[in-house]
Amino acid sequence: MSLWQQCLEQLENQLNAQQFNTWIRPLQAVEEDESLRLLAPNRFVLDWVNERFIDNIRNIVTQIGTGDQHQVVLEIGSRERKTQEPAVRVAKVANNTAKQEDKRRANFRRREDQSQIHYVSNIRDEFTFSSFVEGKSNQIAKAASVQIGENPGVAYNPLFIYGGVGLGKTHLMHAVGNLMLEKKQESRVIYVHSERFVADMVKALQHNAIDDFKRYYRSVDALLIDDIQFFAGKERSQEELFHTFNTLIEGQRQIIISCDRYPKEIDGLEERLKSRFGWGLTVAIEPPELETRVAILMSKAQQMNVELPHEVAFFMAKRIRSNVRELEGALRRVIANSRFMARPITLDFAKDALRDLLAAQDKLVTIENIQKTVAEYFKIRVADLLSKKRSRSVARPRQLAMALAKELTNHSLPEIGDVFGGRDHTTVLHGCKKIRELRDSDVRVNEDYQNLLRILTT
Amino acid sequence: MSANTSIKQLPLSMWLRQGATFDSYVSAANQQLLDNIRNVAALGEEHFIFIWGAEGVGKTHLLQAACHAATNAGNSSVYLPMQEAAQFAPEMLEDLEQMTLVTIDNIDAVAGDQAWETALFNLYNRVRDNGECRLIVSAHQPLASLGLRLPDLLSRLSWGLVYQVQAMTDEEKLQALKQGADSRGFELPDEVANYLLRHYQRQTAALFDLLERLDQRSLAEQRRLTIPFVKQVIETDFRSSKE
Repeated sequence: MSLWQQCLEQLENQLNAQQFNTWIRPLQAVEEDESLRLLAPNRFVLDWVNERFIDNIRNIVTQIGTGDQHQVVLEIGSRERKTQEPAVRVAKVANNTAKQEDKRRANFRRREDQSQIHYVSNIRDEFTFSSFVEGKSNQIAKAASVQIGENPGVAYNPLFIYGGVGLGKTHLMHAVGNLMLEKKQESRVIYVHSERFVADMVKALQHNAIDDFKRYYRSVDALLIDDIQFFAGKERSQEELFHTFNTLIEGQRQIIISCDRYPKEIDGLEERLKSRFGWGLTVAIEPPELETRVAILMSKAQQMNVELPHEVAFFMAKRIRSNVRELEGALRRVIANSRFMARPITLDFAKDALRDLLAAQDKLVTIENIQKTVAEYFKIRVADLLSKKRSRSVARPRQLAMALAKELTNHSLPEIGDVFGGRDHTTVLHGCKKIRELRDSDVRVNEDYQNLLRILTT
Repeated sequence: MSANTSIKQLPLSMWLRQGATFDSYVSAANQQLLDNIRNVAALGEEHFIFIWGAEGVGKTHLLQAACHAATNAGNSSVYLPMQEAAQFAPEMLEDLEQMTLVTIDNIDAVAGDQAWETALFNLYNRVRDNGECRLIVSAHQPLASLGLRLPDLLSRLSWGLVYQVQAMTDEEKLQALKQGADSRGFELPDEVANYLLRHYQRQTAALFDLLERLDQRSLAEQRRLTIPFVKQVIETDFRSSKE
């Protein structure tokens, strides 16, 4: 047994389980002739261990040391850690097929020779256009993305894709990146999440490497920035993004931005950035409708080599409507159950497998909750919803709430009428009908309905 | 730190104590969940699991057992109890994707806290980018009821496998208590185990804490585990908790 293993055994007995698992377990040991080097994953863990546990560890090492005087050294690091650039984090390009990885490595190496910059594309192979399921809700965004992949920097620049979480924005960005790389292997296509951009910039500033950072992002062929709303309130990062943006657009290099809302609605973002985001094309991705959700499930199952009966996909798509991630999670669960029990996936089987997941969802959607959510959404009081007031500003939200109650709960019309201030069931029926009509004729009403549906079922 | 002083007070049995492992986890209703957590800890196909269940159903045990298994396989792991988050800072999540297994207990404790939610969201993304790290997260509530303010984090947590941890039956609790006693090197007679189930808090975690104290006290006082002795320990506990 190694010195550190012996040490661990003693520590496990001395400390409580939580202390041991939180602070001692993450330490990785490197045993050398005269020293025991302990690697902590980050500064925080290092400081904590230094303050509270290091004396204890030293005592134990001295006790069990077989005559050798082992010096215990605590530092930040990881045995498996990849080297990190000060300005730009060099992460592993995950899940690449070996061939493509070689291809990209060669590509990066070549660039590296030229400019001394390591480019890391972060583009994920599995997100392609062929694995993207198209439907009414996303076809414009997809068409624009394909055009950009074919003609980067020319067609629409920047492309601004917005929509709720888990609807496929990131998938589209990666798909464009993959298409660009397919067309031109040596393209410097960089995907980066906004938080990563901000965090790397902070690190670059700390390490006096801000010039490298600037050079890196300003010299790419295409920059794909995800979740731009995370720049909100970060002025220094916005400043840097602004200049990067200008340099790239001037050089006809492609920029793709994703966001959870329309550019003008991002709070805490400079006006000059917002207006620039609108220079090219702005497209929305809506939550997928039922048929698309079914198609997504079928396609995902096929990728996972699982036979998914259509009626099961239909059942799941009907019950899980919030976003694609949750659909995929539910599919994983059904597949895991089927593998564990070695049984084929049938409708009854799927219902059983998803019981806890769906029960949790059902529990949440009560009429009271719908009333509260709708009132909050329209900034009115729940009491108004239940009152006799008939002004438009109250009546419309009330009808929406009724329609949602009919859609999302199992309550009957009279029951719904009852909890809406003792109204008649025909009033509820009228409200539901009115909303159905308005959703077809008034975009805003439809949008409100969809938003509320999403809030209530996420 | 009191670690040094408290060591002296602990009886010998503490040195024999076993941490939480998969083998000491008893529950028929959670077999599939257990199987999947084992797989994740053994670097299987799935990368993310979110588990939820009421207080005391054994979530912490499962998470720590996963860490234990990872260590045994020569992999690095870390356990982060978010109920202690007030003591920590979100910076402690930095670079944790370099670990092989990251487990986050009681994520609901930081739900609604913007700094923590953002840090967890970033950790999730880094874990996913890294491709080799696995993440297990636990909570008391199902995802939709957690009160997370960052929809991005919520949707990511729903992406992987999601399981509700079922509570143990009384029969299973009995078996688990006896097994727990056995691994600590003492025997828990049936009538005493039954007494514990009927007269003490029914949550598994609380029962096991009590078992730990019974072990210490019986060793320290050289007493056999009888119902009067157990009563006495529970009463002293109760009095000291009121002080």
